[in-house]
Amino acid sequence: MDFAFSREQMMFKKEVLRFAKKEIVPRVQEHDLKSEFDFQSFRKMGAFGILGLHFPEELGGGGADVVTTVLAGEALGEAGVDGGLTLAYGAHSFLCADTIFRHGTDAQRKHYIPKLASGEWIGCMGLSEPDAGSDVASMSTTAMRQGDTYVLNGTKMWITNGPIADVAVVYAKTDPDQQHAGISAFVIDKGTPGFSAGPPLIKMGVRTSKTSELVLNNCVLPAENLLGNEGEGFLMAMQTVEWDRSALLAPFVGATTYMLKKCAEYAKGRVQFGKPIGHFQAIKRKLADMRIFGEAARALVYRIAWCKDQGRPLNHLEAAVAKLFIGDWSLPVTNDAVTLHGGYGYTHEFDVERIFRDTRLAPIGGGTSEVQKMIISRLM
Amino acid sequence: MNFDFTDEENSLFENLRAIAGAAPSEEVMAGQSAEAVSRTLREKLNKLAEAGYLQLGFGMNAQADAVRLMGSMEILAGHARSFFLAVEMSTRVLGRAIAHWASDEQKEQWLQSLLAGKWLGALALSENTMNVENDPLNTQGIRKDGRVLVSGHKKYVVNGPLADRIGLVGMLDGNLSIFMIDRQAEGLAISERIRTMGYDGLHIAEIVLHDCDLPETDIILPPENAPVLDLLRLWENEILLAAALGLMQAALTEARDFAKSHRTGGKPVIAYQEVGFKLSEMLTLYQTAQLLAYRAVWTMATQPKEGASLIWCAKVFCTEAAERVAGEALRILAGQGYRSGSASESAYRAAKWTQISGISTEIARVKIGDQALGYI
Repeated sequence: MDFAFSREQMMFKKEVLRFAKKEIVPRVQEHDLKSEFDFQSFRKMGAFGILGLHFPEELGGGGADVVTTVLAGEALGEAGVDGGLTLAYGAHSFLCADTIFRHGTDAQRKHYIPKLASGEWIGCMGLSEPDAGSDVASMSTTAMRQGDTYVLNGTKMWITNGPIADVAVVYAKTDPDQQHAGISAFVIDKGTPGFSAGPPLIKMGVRTSKTSELVLNNCVLPAENLLGNEGEGFLMAMQTVEWDRSALLAPFVGATTYMLKKCAEYAKGRVQFGKPIGHFQAIKRKLADMRIFGEAARALVYRIAWCKDQGRPLNHLEAAVAKLFIGDWSLPVTNDAVTLHGGYGYTHEFDVERIFRDTRLAPIGGGTSEVQKMIISRLM
Repeated sequence: MNFDFTDEENSLFENLRAIAGAAPSEEVMAGQSAEAVSRTLREKLNKLAEAGYLQLGFGMNAQADAVRLMGSMEILAGHARSFFLAVEMSTRVLGRAIAHWASDEQKEQWLQSLLAGKWLGALALSENTMNVENDPLNTQGIRKDGRVLVSGHKKYVVNGPLADRIGLVGMLDGNLSIFMIDRQAEGLAISERIRTMGYDGLHIAEIVLHDCDLPETDIILPPENAPVLDLLRLWENEILLAAALGLMQAALTEARDFAKSHRTGGKPVIAYQEVGFKLSEMLTLYQTAQLLAYRAVWTMATQPKEGASLIWCAKVFCTEAAERVAGEALRILAGQGYRSGSASESAYRAAKWTQISGISTEIARVKIGDQALGYI
C-alpha cells in the first residue's frame, strides 16, 4: 500500500489552489448571496484546463488520470470555491461530458467534447424526475422511435445546470414496459424544439448552481442522438457513479480543510473571558472533529479514483460506503463550524454558513444516504 | 498511490489467519488460571515467532513494514483480542523500546529471545494518573555503590502478573530510563490481577517497587533528548488501532451472519431496514476506520512529522467507531447479544479500553485541536 501522490500531482494541486484563490474565490460570496451562476469563473476553469482534465488532449482535454482529476476537485474545495460551482463543474464534466465521451460516436465526441472541455458549452444530465428520484427505474419520460427519429416526452427534475446548459444528456424509456433495461440515453442541444428548461429552483444551498426541471414536449431528435444502443441507458448512468463517488465528493473533502483553517483563524482571534476561544477545550474538540472527518473521508474517495485508474469495475460497496460516510458524517462538523463562530456563524459574513448550507446536499444528491444503505446491506 | 496489498503480504495474512484461528479465544483465556494463561501465551508466542509475526516492525524497511504489520495485527486482534494485546505489549512496545534504546549487549541479551517468543514482557508506564503528558513520572532510580535502587508505583501494567521481565519507565539522573526488572527481583511487588470491564483474558496488575536493586547493565538509557514517551505512546496507539479494527471485524461478522440467518416475519432480519441500515452504517465505519488506520501508520513511517497527528486522528476515530459498531451489533443480536459470551457483547465491553489507553481520545482531540490552531 502507498498513499502518496506523485510530485507532479502535488505540484498540480498547488497550481489549482493558486488559480482558484486568485480567480474564483474573491467572487464566491457575492455570487452566493445573489444566487448567481459565476459564468466568468466557469469559463476560467475551462481555460485553465479543469473542466476537461481527464479527456484526451486531442479532444481539448488534459489527458490526466482519475486521481489527478479528483485531486483538482479537492483543491477547489480547499481553496474556498463554493459547493455550487463545484457541483456545476461535476455535473458538467462527469455526468454530461464524460457520458458523451464514453458512449458517443467519434463524430459526437469530436463535436461536443472540445467545447465542453473548454467551457464554451455547458452540459447537464437529466435522470431524476418529479416522481422518480431514488427509484429512477420507474421514470416515465419516454422516447418513442418514429422512423429515423425519436420523440421524447416527459419531465426531468433537480437538473444541475438545467437553466444554463447548452447540451444535455437525457435518459428516457425507449421500452416503457421494462424497468432498467428499458432506459436509453440521448444527447440534446439547447434550442431543440420541444426541449426547454424550467425556471431556476430556489434552494437552501449550492445557490450558485442553477437547478431546474427539463421539459420534453414532443421533442423530436434524430436517431443518431441516441448514445450507444437502446436499453443501455441505465448502465451508462451507473457508470457515472464512479465519478459521483470520487470527483464529485472530493470538493467536500477539500472544503473541510478550508473550513478547518477558517475556524482555527477565528478561534485564535476571537477573545472571550480574557483569552482566545481556541484555548477552550470545547473549541479544540470541534476543530479536532473537523480534522478527523476530513482525514477519514480522504482515503475513501481516492480509493475509488485509484481503482478507476487501474481499469477495475466499480466496487459498488466501496462507492456506497464513500457516499454514505461523506454524506452523513459531514453534517455534524459543518454544524460545529457554525456554532464555533457564535452569532457570526449565522451570518453571511463568514463562509461557514454557506458551507453548512451547501453540505446539506451531501446526503441527498447523487444518491441519498438511505439508498446507499440499501445498496450496502444488499451487498453484505 | 496503491490501495492493494502485495502478494507476499496476502500470503502472510493467509498464514496468520490459520494461526490466529488457533489462538486462544477470549472465552478460553477468561476461564483460565494465570498459570494456564501464562503457559498458553508462551506456547503460542513460539508459533507466532515461527510465522515471522513477532519480527514485523523490526526490519529496515519501515514503510513496507508499517502496513504489513497493521494488516497482520488486525487479523490477530479480530480472532483473539486479549491474546493479541498481551503479545503486542510485550513485543511491539517493550521489544521496540529495547530495539531503539538498548545497548548492543542488552539487545543480544533480550531482544533476539523476545522476538523468538522465548519470554513474555511488560512495559510499565502509567502512574497515579494515566496522563503522563501533564504529570511527571515518580518512579526513580538512585545510584548506590555501582548499582541502582528503584522505587515507584505503576498502575495498569498489561501482562504485569505474567511477565518474565518488566520494563519500568522512570527517571535516573534526571533522564528517562527503562529499568528492566526480573519478576523474581527483591523489592518488586505485583498486585492481584485487576478485574476490568472488558478484555476478560488480559492480565493487568499494579506494580510497586521499593528499593528494587538492579545492576546498571539492566537499565536501558535512551539518549537525553530521545522522545521516549512519545514513541512508547505511539507504539501503543498503533496496537490499539489494530485492536479497534479487530473488535469491529468480530462484531460486524457476528451481527451480519446473525442477520442473514435469523428469520422473523418470514424473512431474514437483514431484510428489515432497521437492521440492514444498521449493518450498512457499521460496515461504513469499519471500512473508513481501516483505511484511516492504514494511512496513519504508513504516513508515520514515511513522513513522521505529519504522521503523528494522523495517528491521533485515527486513534479517536477507530476506537470510537469500535464502540459504536459493537453497540449496534448488540442491538441486532438483541437478546442473544446481551448474553455474556457473544463476540459483540465482549467487543462492546472491550472497546472502552481502546479509547482510554494509549493516548486517550480526550487528549488526542486536544492535541489535534492545538495543532490546527498552530499552538503545537
